[in-house]
Amino acid sequence: MTKSNDLARIITGCKVGDAKCFAQIVDMYASRCYGYFYRLTGNNDISDELLSKLFVKLVEKIGSYKGGSFESWLFKVASNIFHDHLRSKQRRKKWIEVQITEFKSGTIEPKQSNGELADKLQVQLGRLNEDTRELIMLRFYSQLSFKEISQIRSEPMGTTLAKTHRALKKLRQFMEG
Amino acid sequence: MEDRNQENLRELFEKFFDAEQAERCVEDIQKAERIFREHPAPEPDDMLIANIKAEIALRLPAARAHRVRRIIYEVVGAAAAILIVAALSLQLFEKDVPQNGEFVYASLIPTAIWESDDIAADDEDLAVFTAQIEQIEDEVLALQSGEEVGNGDSTLVELEMELIEINSDFWKG
Repeated sequence: MTKSNDLARIITGCKVGDAKCFAQIVDMYASRCYGYFYRLTGNNDISDELLSKLFVKLVEKIGSYKGGSFESWLFKVASNIFHDHLRSKQRRKKWIEVQITEFKSGTIEPKQSNGELADKLQVQLGRLNEDTRELIMLRFYSQLSFKEISQIRSEPMGTTLAKTHRALKKLRQFMEG
Repeated sequence: MEDRNQENLRELFEKFFDAEQAERCVEDIQKAERIFREHPAPEPDDMLIANIKAEIALRLPAARAHRVRRIIYEVVGAAAAILIVAALSLQLFEKDVPQNGEFVYASLIPTAIWESDDIAADDEDLAVFTAQIEQIEDEVLALQSGEEVGNGDSTLVELEMELIEINSDFWKG
């Protein structure tokens, strides 16, 4: 049986509420989704929380998945969860804006929840603007094609290509500089 | 993470840039993506994954109940919509139908004549015919009694013919 047939069978199982099928989906996508959240937030605790929210949301929303690329659908949900997180944090705690500003300006070193310094990549990602960072994360962690990414972002594919190229080039310069 | 749905990056970039630029873009992207592979993000904790699976198992019955409720709401909603449409349609059709079995008759006879006590006086045509018949009857009586002079037979025949003609015109309407 092919990989896509396997996935289709698992999703069908999820739709009828089979816990084992959901567990399989978690095993298949947890790592990539966690990487996506971690590279966007630079924080283990927040990434843990967002990953949990994503799979809980998956249980609620699986009925609305009507076919097509499952990865594309899943990362669209992940992207929405990340934006909800940003909005709720902004509403509740104004000081986060200060933290982000300081993080972006490089006045503080981003720290993981266990107190270790974030890796070099995470620091340099922090120098990119939020939209660019998310675009790169979608490109790398979702494994989606540019066509699918442009659909998720509701923008022409040429724009997505140009933005991604510019962003990755800039990131490479930061990393090499 | 090499597959990307069998996407041919060079071909894709060549749609928007010339061959040389497209080549450079693809190289830039591949080099930058190598950085990600060299700096992998941390993996989620095993405990976190176990917790997520437990959370899902806990939420599944509620999700199933929610799904059933949603189906019920959809069915009830659809039934209500059908009932509303049916009720509206009935109301629209009922406007054209007489209420409580009341029938409307259209009479061929004018109301003035239908309600008249003296039809011969109220119906102009009938009055004219009646007057002509009376006149002809008088003339016939006069002829029979010998009051009329001249060719009596032919006059009588003419009068009888005229009477028959008037009579048949009357019944033809």
